[in-house]
Amino acid sequence: MRKINLPKITFWRLVLVAILLAGAYAAWIRFTQGLIVTNLSDRSPWGLWIGFSVLCVIALAAGGFTISAVVHVLNLENFKPVVRSTILTAFLGYSLYVVGLLVELGRPYNVWHPIVMWNLHSVMFEIGMCAMFYTTVLMFEFSPMLFERLKWQKALKTIKAITTPLVFIGVLLSTMHQSSLGTLFLIVPGKLHPLWYTPRLPVLFFVSAVALGLAMTIFESYLSMRVFRRGLHFELLTKLGQAVAVVLILYFILKIGDLYFRGVLASAFEASYEGRIFLAEIVLGILAPVSMLLIPRLRKNQLGLFIAALMVVLGVFLNRMNVGITGLDRSSGVNYFPSFVELAITAAIIAAGFLLFGLAVKYLQVFPREEMDLVAGGQRSTLPALDAWSQPAWSATTLALVVGIIFTAATLALSYDGVRRRVPNVPTPDGGPVDIQNALTHLKQFENIPITMGKSSPGQVIFNHTRHLNANNPDCAQCHPGLFRLLPTTADVTPEKKMRQCGTCHDGVKAVGIMRKDRCDSCHRKS
Amino acid sequence: MVTKKALLFDSTMCIGCGACYGACKEKNHLSVTAGNFLQDDLSVETYTVVNRRQHQYIRRLCMHCEEPTCVSVCPVGALVKTEAGPVLYEESKCMGCRYCMQACPFTVPQFEWKNPVSPRISKCNLCHDRIEAGLATACAAVCPTGATKFGSRDELVAEARDRIRKNPEKYYEHIFGLKEVGGTSVLMLAAVPLEQLGYPTGLLKQPLPPLTREVLHKLPGVVGIGGVLMCGVWWITNRRNQVQRAAREEKLRAQTGAESNEGSTKDA
Repeated sequence: MRKINLPKITFWRLVLVAILLAGAYAAWIRFTQGLIVTNLSDRSPWGLWIGFSVLCVIALAAGGFTISAVVHVLNLENFKPVVRSTILTAFLGYSLYVVGLLVELGRPYNVWHPIVMWNLHSVMFEIGMCAMFYTTVLMFEFSPMLFERLKWQKALKTIKAITTPLVFIGVLLSTMHQSSLGTLFLIVPGKLHPLWYTPRLPVLFFVSAVALGLAMTIFESYLSMRVFRRGLHFELLTKLGQAVAVVLILYFILKIGDLYFRGVLASAFEASYEGRIFLAEIVLGILAPVSMLLIPRLRKNQLGLFIAALMVVLGVFLNRMNVGITGLDRSSGVNYFPSFVELAITAAIIAAGFLLFGLAVKYLQVFPREEMDLVAGGQRSTLPALDAWSQPAWSATTLALVVGIIFTAATLALSYDGVRRRVPNVPTPDGGPVDIQNALTHLKQFENIPITMGKSSPGQVIFNHTRHLNANNPDCAQCHPGLFRLLPTTADVTPEKKMRQCGTCHDGVKAVGIMRKDRCDSCHRKS
Repeated sequence: MVTKKALLFDSTMCIGCGACYGACKEKNHLSVTAGNFLQDDLSVETYTVVNRRQHQYIRRLCMHCEEPTCVSVCPVGALVKTEAGPVLYEESKCMGCRYCMQACPFTVPQFEWKNPVSPRISKCNLCHDRIEAGLATACAAVCPTGATKFGSRDELVAEARDRIRKNPEKYYEHIFGLKEVGGTSVLMLAAVPLEQLGYPTGLLKQPLPPLTREVLHKLPGVVGIGGVLMCGVWWITNRRNQVQRAAREEKLRAQTGAESNEGSTKDA
């Protein structure tokens, strides 16, 4: 009897399925009811979907071009085993970004419009074009993994022949794209908090994306090692860790230097919501992981390296969220927090990323063969570092979750004091009386309006506008434009209807009734 | 050459009657959105509002900037600035990215959140069809006190200056919209700074689009130089690797050659 190979049901697989189902449900709600199901509003038109699905996911992909540049441009061959996993991450990142964008756009079916409707002044246009071209490049860069599996030798050869020019184009496009996401926010000088708004945003976005891309490589290699027994040489990861530290230090210097020279460094230490969350970003996302990476004993320990890498990832995420959401909160005057639909779809996008990466690692040759065999063959090998990989798979995922929760909790704790003091910048309308005496002197003297007579009219009605007005407090909205039009545009209503309109107030209670047969002459004058 | 048109709103002349609010709704066929118009806010069905702030009446509407941020940020060019002044929205081009809303320094563009199929951006269009027909905007045409006045921008600026000069005690000495974000087609006068009436603080006095445009204009240079630099580095490192490889092979050949030489001498 043939045995059907069903995937084993494990806790994390169940979680994954639940998240994906919730995401699908949320997407259904979003597409049937519109963006009203989000907590976005006219005052805060961008939220989690731009903050995470665009800013963070694109930044995640930065490992792709960084490592390809190192290997193909600098020709540092020893990083070659890293290339594939970073290209895969970048490709998945960009694909998921496109999915996220289709959910976020109000009219997703018009997403192709930038191809034919150009606005060269728009950063969004440039981002759209870069995204399109770079996703194509990434598809080509990723394709060898697929072709190998399918044993399409000819296609494989063709792609290999054009690898170097592809990498060049990819590096340029990616550089433009990463920095442009920062440029996107250069247009909101009055809205974005000065801790994040700086003319150097494009540079800062680029540098932090490089750090994030490298850290992500460490993170996913560790996870795949735990789950699939496939990953990278630990020594290589340690080297990447060093590189992350160097890039982050550069970023830190740029960031602090920029704040200092713009004279806003002090506001980082203010007891404000923004100040606290900025400190969280710097301390938890840069200082803590950099110190961990600089200590050789921690860097050379799988757990230490993994936690440091994860903190870098979360730190850059926090930065992107701060630029895209938190920093704009005060000026918008609303306290935005994503709705269930926004959270569910974002979670599903992350889950889809994990799932697709996992499938790729399982079925394609993402990590170099030698090491896969080494670990998969159960050979405890000469590498002492590999011993730790043998622990149960769930512990790595759980650990990632625990670190994430601690990171979030620490961020909240740091910014908590500020939360209570957050006061929106928008003045609330007050109902105080307005002295309009002076303005009333400008009030136009209204002419009497002769009303068109009907056939059976007992006499001409001359509407005295001034008599119908409370001269001390004119309220035009009481009668206009609901009852009577303000702008003479179309043919007037029939005399009969006009009289019924008079009857809205002339009902015998508020004013003399139009049905009083004996009082016709109060309006209908006999000439 | 079309003369640039504009609106001048003088808060000190406004009696809060709501005629402009009503006329706008009537002209643009917008639905009723609030019981009390003074408490209404801009929305997809409301292009202008009159609010009571700090014991004054103040209008909010699209300012129709001289160099509009929304026009510069729209990736598909769905927003255009016309010569006469109005900034217009072309629904069929829009993809709903809402960058115009985020970028607008006055937070004016509003979004049709409840429409799942074809949500549109909406905002005041300065009654461009009326302007073309030689009429004043609806709000200016119905204003009973002349608080909202329509005319050529140059003349209105002169008039605003004149009003301040004649009644310096009545006005805060500033024409809002003359310089803000590079100038707007809606000018405002009030007894207090407009910032106290709900208008944004810290607006730049120059247009915003250059903030991103200048960065974008640097890109071709960066890409060019970056590309050349990369090619250069690639050539050097590639060459270095080739040389190293050749050297290794040379060494290997020398070694094997020496060995075979040894063998041959032995034989001899």
